Amino acid sequence: MGFLDSIFGRRERSGTVAKERLAAVLVDDRYKLTPEMKEQMKIDIAEVLSRYLPSVDPDQIEVAILRGEGSDKLQADIPLRRGRAGDE
Amino acid sequence: MARVITITSGKGGVGKTTTTANLGTALAMRGSRVAVIDADIGLRNLDVVMGLENRIVYDLVDVVEGRARLRQALIKDKRLPELCLLPAAQTRDKDAVSPEHMIDLTNQLRNDFDFVLIDSPAGIEGGFRNAIAGADEVIIVTTPEVSAVRDADRIVGLVEAAEKGPPSLIVNRIKPRLVSRGEMLSVDDVLELLMITLVGIVPDDETIVTSTNRGEAAVYDQSSTAGKAFLNIARRLNGDEVPFLALQEQPGVIERLMGIFGRRRP
Repeated sequence: MGFLDSIFGRRERSGTVAKERLAAVLVDDRYKLTPEMKEQMKIDIAEVLSRYLPSVDPDQIEVAILRGEGSDKLQADIPLRRGRAGDE
Repeated sequence: MARVITITSGKGGVGKTTTTANLGTALAMRGSRVAVIDADIGLRNLDVVMGLENRIVYDLVDVVEGRARLRQALIKDKRLPELCLLPAAQTRDKDAVSPEHMIDLTNQLRNDFDFVLIDSPAGIEGGFRNAIAGADEVIIVTTPEVSAVRDADRIVGLVEAAEKGPPSLIVNRIKPRLVSRGEMLSVDDVLELLMITLVGIVPDDETIVTSTNRGEAAVYDQSSTAGKAFLNIARRLNGDEVPFLALQEQPGVIERLMGIFGRRRP
């Protein structure tokens, strides 16, 4: 990207992009986590949670493993469809 | 008793051979007895980088297969009598060498040298496994690029699995100007991703091209910033505390302009 882009802040700088992409791919490499496995994990998470909560859409779930100092952690972002007890 | 150090990377073309040649030369310049071994069987290169290609009589496979004694195959450097090269075979089958051979070979060298540096082939296959078999320590060379860093991370895992202890890291070919513009991974970024100890930062330097063309190590060239960086790494291997080269260049006109326009976003 040209420096004009960076003056106007149109795109994230490529060094930052590289770091973010690497952080994700290194963790997946280390855990031998394939994209298919991630998709299956989302489906399974949705299935388990739907026993307790209004229906969860696996397509809305984001999962990522984050590297930490001592240990890594799995972060899942699971949007819930708004509902009240006794709705059904 | 020699320290046996393997220089490896995973990805090819990141500067393993240049690093081996320069560290070997720098350590010998500082008074150590050094043997460098080219473990890239079939793709011999350390000899040309060191300018010793015309002196080869026997190679690593000749030693392993008993056609030559180790002493006969070791080539003395042109300038430094305490620096020796064991060249790789160029024509032979790479399966001629096993990890046991390499352990045996390095053990034979331990008594006569202070350092044995092994230039590993790229990849994670047999050649890499041979190269680390006899090592006490492993140094991983990477460049600040996504492919090289990813491969380096694989190597970290394999080195740890082989119980060689945590490897240390050389970040090669850093371009300070690109880093300061945020368009290249910084050394800190790479360290944060790989989580291993840094032993050297080598700037991208055109004098490497000319010194390699001539078959002379860059550490001889007073004007070479890469050469200076390799000398510093050699000192660190000797146990000296040497601050890392400050790579911040004076910002150019464009960078200053971009600073005025508030390029840096949170």
